[in-house]
Formats: sequence, C-alpha cells, structure tokens
Amino acid sequence: MAADSTPAIVASHFSDADNQETAATLGMWIFLATEVLFFGVLFAGYAVTRLIHPEAFGNGGRHTDVLLGSINTAILLTSSLTMGLAVRASSVGWRRSSVTWLTLSAILGVAFLVIKGYEWYHESLEGLLPGPGFDYSGPDVPGVELFFFLYFTMTGAHAVHLSIGILVVASVAVLAARDKFSADYHTPVVLTGLYWHFIDVVWIFLYPLFYLVSRS
Amino acid sequence: MSAQRQANAVTATAPDKASGSPPERAPPAWPYWLTWLALLALQALNLGSAYLPLGPFNLVINVGISIVKTLLVMTIFMHLARSSAVMRIAAVAGFFFLAVLLGLSLGDYLTRPT
Amino acid sequence: MTSITANGGPSYISAGYTLRSWLTTRDHKRIALLYLVSILFFFVIAAVAAAMIRIELLTPAGDLVDDDTYNKLFTVHGVVMVWFFLIPSIPATFGNFLIPLMIGAKDVAFPRLNLASWYVYTLGGLFVVGTLIAGGVDTGWTFYTPYTTMFSNSHVIAAVTGVFIVGFSSIFTGLNFIVTVHQMRAPGMTWFRLPLFVWAHYATSLVMVLATPVLAMTLALIAIERLLGVGIFDPALGGDPLLFQHLFWFYSHPAVYIMILPAMGVVSEVIACFARKPIFGYRFMVYSLLAIAAVGFMVWGHHMFVSGQSMYAGMVFSLLSFLVAIPSAIKVFNWTATLYKGSIHFDAPMLYALGFIGLFMMGGITGIWLAALAADVHLTDTYFVVAHFHYIMVGGAVMAFFAALHFWWPKVTGRLYPDGWARAGAIVMFVGFNLTFFPQYIAGFLGMPRRYHAYPDEFQVLNVLSSGGAVVLGVGYLLPLLYLGWSLRRGRLAGANPWGATGLEWQTPSPPPPDNFASPPRVEGPPYAYHAEQAAGDSHGR
Repeated sequence: MAADSTPAIVASHFSDADNQETAATLGMWIFLATEVLFFGVLFAGYAVTRLIHPEAFGNGGRHTDVLLGSINTAILLTSSLTMGLAVRASSVGWRRSSVTWLTLSAILGVAFLVIKGYEWYHESLEGLLPGPGFDYSGPDVPGVELFFFLYFTMTGAHAVHLSIGILVVASVAVLAARDKFSADYHTPVVLTGLYWHFIDVVWIFLYPLFYLVSRS
Repeated sequence: MSAQRQANAVTATAPDKASGSPPERAPPAWPYWLTWLALLALQALNLGSAYLPLGPFNLVINVGISIVKTLLVMTIFMHLARSSAVMRIAAVAGFFFLAVLLGLSLGDYLTRPT
Repeated sequence: MTSITANGGPSYISAGYTLRSWLTTRDHKRIALLYLVSILFFFVIAAVAAAMIRIELLTPAGDLVDDDTYNKLFTVHGVVMVWFFLIPSIPATFGNFLIPLMIGAKDVAFPRLNLASWYVYTLGGLFVVGTLIAGGVDTGWTFYTPYTTMFSNSHVIAAVTGVFIVGFSSIFTGLNFIVTVHQMRAPGMTWFRLPLFVWAHYATSLVMVLATPVLAMTLALIAIERLLGVGIFDPALGGDPLLFQHLFWFYSHPAVYIMILPAMGVVSEVIACFARKPIFGYRFMVYSLLAIAAVGFMVWGHHMFVSGQSMYAGMVFSLLSFLVAIPSAIKVFNWTATLYKGSIHFDAPMLYALGFIGLFMMGGITGIWLAALAADVHLTDTYFVVAHFHYIMVGGAVMAFFAALHFWWPKVTGRLYPDGWARAGAIVMFVGFNLTFFPQYIAGFLGMPRRYHAYPDEFQVLNVLSSGGAVVLGVGYLLPLLYLGWSLRRGRLAGANPWGATGLEWQTPSPPPPDNFASPPRVEGPPYAYHAEQAAGDSHGR
C-alpha cells in the first residue's frame, strides 16, 4: 500500500514519485536508443549504397526539392523549440502556456507532413517512386532507383514516427487542458518531449543526406 | 533526486490546479530560444555550404553540422546537460553501437579488392 | 500447489483462480509462468522438427521427406528454437520471476509493459504457427538474400513478420529489466551486492535492447524487397546481398549472447549454493558479463568469412572473436575456483550446472577454432559448426535452463520433486546430449555439409550415433516433465529455503505472496554469504 505521504499518482511498486519519474524517463531514453538502432539500419544501408553508387546518389539527389526540404527542416526545428517550451511550462504547472506550446508543436508537425506529402506526390508523378513505375532517364538507373528507395523508405519511416508523435502530443495537450498535470507530476509531457526531439534528430540527419547531395 | 527535477521543481506544497495561474519560478526560457536560433543558423550554413564545390568535404561538413545540431537538441532541449550519468549513457549507447555497425561494415566495403 | 503463505495470506498463485486473473495479471511471477507454458509449447514444435530431421538423417538417401520439406524442417527448428524458446527461456521465465525478488522489489518497473511483452510474444508466435500451417518457410532461420527476397516460393513474409513482432517482446523485456535494476533495488542493495543472476540479466538486457531493433528493420527490408521488387539487397538492382548479412549478423551474433548470458547467471547461483562458497572473483564475473555483452557486438563478421567479405575485415573480426572468448574463459576459471575446496553437494541443479561448465567449454573452444580464418574455410557450413553451436545452446543454455528449473522449482511452486529421479534425468540428458552432438563434430570435420537432407554413405555411422543419442536426449527432456508434473500434486511442501541458499528470493515464502515481501527487505552484506564446511578458501569472492 502506498504510504500516506506519497500522492495517489505514484504506483504502489515505486518508493516515491521521484523514483517513478526517473524510471519513466530512463525507460524513454532506452526506447530512444532502440530507435537509433532501428533507423540506424537504414542509415547503414544508405552509407553502403552511396559508397557503391556515388554518382547515382548525386544525380538522384538533385531531384529532391531543396526549398521544401529546407523549409520543412526549419519547421521541425521550430517545433522542437515549441516542445521544449511546452515541457518547461508544464514543469512549473502553467496550464494554459503548456497547452498552447503543445498545440503549436502538433500544428507544426502537421505542416511538415503536409509539405512532405506534397513532395512525395510530385515525386511520384515524376516517376521517381521505385518499382514498376520508376521512370528516370539519366545514367545509372539502378543506383538512382536505390537512392529513391532509401529516400521514400527513410522519410516514410520518419513520417510514421512523426504521425505517432503528433497523435501523442495532441493527446497530451488534451490531458494538459484538463488539468491532469502539475509541477509535481508532468512526466507524460517530459516523455513526449523526448520522443518529439528524437524525431527531430532523425530528420536532422535525413535532411543533408537527401537534399544536399551534389548541389554544387 | 534527479538533477532535472531539482532544476525544475518549484516549492509548491499543494498540487497546482489553477488555470494558467500566477507565475511560479520557472527555469529561464532564453536557452531554448538561443538554441533554436543556433539550429537555424547551422541549417543555413549547411544549405549554403552544399552549394560550394568542396568535393568529399561537402559530406563531411553535412554530417558534422548534423552532429552539432544533434548535440544541441540533446543537451538543451532534451536536458542532458542536467541529467544523471545513467541518462547520458543511455542517450549515447545507441549511437555508439550504430557507429560500430557503420564502422565495421564500411570497413569491409572499403577494403575489398577493386 | 501450496496455497497459503507462512503469514496466512494468499500466494501469488492462489490470489486468483480465474483465467482472466491470469491473462490480465501485472504480477511478474504470473507473467513468468505464462511465458513458461508458452515456451514449452514452442519447444515441442521445434523438437518435433528436430526429431524428423534426425530420423531423415538415419540414412544417407533423402527418403523420409523431400528436399523442400527438409529445408522447411530445419528452418522451423531454427526459427522456433532461437526466437520462441532460447531467447525468452531464462529471461522471460526466471528473469521475470526472480529479478524483483532478488533485488527486494515488489515488481518490475513497468508491470503492464511486462504483460504486453507476453502478448506480443504470443502474437509473433501465432504468425509463425500460421506460417507452418500454411506450408512453412524454407529459407533457413538466417533468411539470407537473395533467396528470401527473390527466389523462395515459401511463406517468407509471414515468417519474418512473426519474428519482427516477437523481437519487440525482447525489447520490452530488456527495457523493463534495465530500469528495474536501476530503480527498484531495496535499501542496501548496492550494485556490487547484486546476485550475478541479476547482473547477467542486466547485461543480457543491454544486448536485447540494442541489437533487436536492427533485426526488426532488416527483416522489414526483406519483406519490402520481396513485396515490391525494390531494395538494397538485390544485386540486379545494384544492391548487395552481403549488406543483408552484415545487418542480420549484427543482431544475430549478439543474440547468441542473449541466449548464454542468463545461463551463466544461473550457473553462478547454483554453483555457489551447492559448493557452499561465495563465487570466486565476483567483480571479475561482473566485468566479464559486461565485456561479453559489449565485445559481442563487434564480432559478427565471423559468420561471413567465406561470403566475399574483405580479407582485412575478416582478420579484424577474427581477432575480435578471439578476444570475446577471454571473459567467457575467465568465468569458467572462476566457477572452477569456486568449486575448489568447496563443500560440494550433487543435487540435480548442481549436476546440470556442472554439465553446463564442461559442455559450454567444449562449445566455446570449438568456437575459437571456427574464429581462425583458415580453419573456418574448411569448417564453415559443415556439421562442425552445427555441433559447436548446439554444444553452447543445448549443452550450455538449455542445461542451465534445467538447472534453473530444478533450483527454483520449490520457490515457484512450493513443492519439492523426487531428487533421485531428478539426478537420473540430469545424467540421462548429459549422456544423450553428448551422444547426439559429439559425432557431429567429427562428421563436420570430415566434411559433411549442414542443411543437406542426403549425404554421402561414409557419414552414416556418425549420423546413426547422433540420431540414437537424440532418442536418449529426448528421454532426458521427458523425465523432468513427468516428475515435475507429479510434484505439483504429490511433492513434499518446500519451505521458504529448502536449499539453504543465500539471496533475497529465499527469504520469502514458497510460493511467494503477490507483493513478494511482507515488509521491504534491507540488505546488509555481500551476496553468497556461504560458509564451506572446510575453513580454507573463504577469503575469496568478496
């Protein structure tokens, strides 16, 4: 049974609220470590394939939309700012402020997805979607097709994670609006923040690898 | 007590329930804004340098800038700067073993007879 | 089973009898039993496949099954044994049951995640059973490309989906254990007072958490390439099949350490108890566990020596593979030193643990031979390799599983089993094991390839010996099933500590109450506070 001095939000197998929060935070960091290796396979595939097909990656790389990609990068970086401010607000129990920053983060995430979807749509119209419809008229078609395979797979995996993140952020924003968090208990916001920043880190690496190849 | 909680916790004896209530002492916001500006500046640098003909160094700069951005996000936004050693090790562990994967695999490809 | 604990309250078993109470439990002890039943189910499936393989190999001709079916048999044997038996065997059953008890906690850090891990395991298992019913998969448990992505006509996608799913079960378990050990230790239970069983599971969990995601994404890439005809492994599309092997083995080599590290933890507990001595060189044992886990990530290329990998990469991986053997050797030396001048009792758990030491050592040393580049050119893909890994996986890990089963059975069930039968079973298993697998070393050395359903006549004698041994081994597996099952109804009631062992799990009733301890224990001293009946030798193992 929980001792009288611990608030009811602490599960009975933890010694106190701090123990519970540290456990949750450590658990999230370990989960993020698994995500690094999960995405890492694709980065390894990219590294090896680019090593084998350097020119093809250059040719393929020039077909990505550097303007939209750069705007999207700025959007995600900004969403990390808003998320950081949301966690900060939540840590001192500022309900309205945290809801605002969380909502902004989700909106920026949605904006990213809209732009990304637009890019994909146009790339598929251009025949750059790998598979039977792949239609590229330059040299080293296999290499360019591999570039785009990695492009769609990696940005796709990123988008799936971002979508989950948006849903989580929105849910946490709703909970925050319903006054479920306080300065003493805001662990879900902290964990959401960690996940969100991690998604940003993945994109930080994806951006140059797909948008800044062979621009000079 | 995690350092992060000590840094963030405010001496509120009763759970805070009022809506958007009187400002409590919060950690400063300027590190977040400053980091954001630095990240945007680095992105501009990344984008700009891509248009310079630097050969293989373009990739080196790209990855290097990404690493710096990542370190900023992790230390400031993800609070690693004031987290315990365990959190920091957990944060780095994934990258370390990914480096092993990349290093030894690329080591194979780079040393094959051409 | 005993229903009432010493203080009169219910045990974790009698705390609820409905199926729903078991399927919605958050009690780590119940989840451990859910896993125990499940892994037994899958062990039977994989054992039946093994039986059919050994029957086929009684004769040189491929006359029992056709070659495609044979390929499906060894594939299902490998897939099910690796992912649905060996990997969860000790951690998900004994790890789950014992870690909170050993550290003085009420439960693991994330009890619902623990239950989720079992459901995820079951879902993955359903996919694999479904694959079997639909006709099986014939690629080998290693799923090499381009066969899996382009040429196999079997149910590859269903199979890799099942393995993808069950990988998350591993990840959840590992994550849970790491946070549990960091955050849930009782007052006074400092890191260097932890039983080696806990350290072993901590090291295992690090590997589970860091390696398994790589497998998941790699299998996803196979499915994508097979479905869409595009991917990075297909040479016709400019990809590289060796990339698959690098990615696959980056996980699968550490995976074998996931299978052996918990076994080493079990052996340390059992040896200390039945030699009545603290483990020799406790700190070195800890560092060795961590070193095996870490260096184990750097040796995967030794599975690829003849694949077309660069010679220089081969040399690096060969050297690292030699190095990773050192901490394992340190452990074997330390177990032996623990036995020296100990007061040795040959109870069944000890027989299994002693068997482990000998068989693990043989398997490990043959691993060194395989790690030597030139020798591997001759030995790779022969029965020598098959014997090598079965010595470690079966002679090592499975025997340690049985050691754990026999050591902690009284704690888990509250019952004792008949020790005569148990000792006999251990000996039958040891003899049967060696009869089954030692001939395979010889056959492999003489050149018999693995994964062949027909072979040249000159290997028949060795194969008949091996198949005969498998019958004895089967008896060795069946016997515990019988007398342990018997003990559930008719076994004598075990007290809290029938072995006189140290460790917090023995300070609570058998079976334990749902919350493990009546009041949180306080730890005052180091583990393994045994006193050998002879005075000499107990200055070791601080």
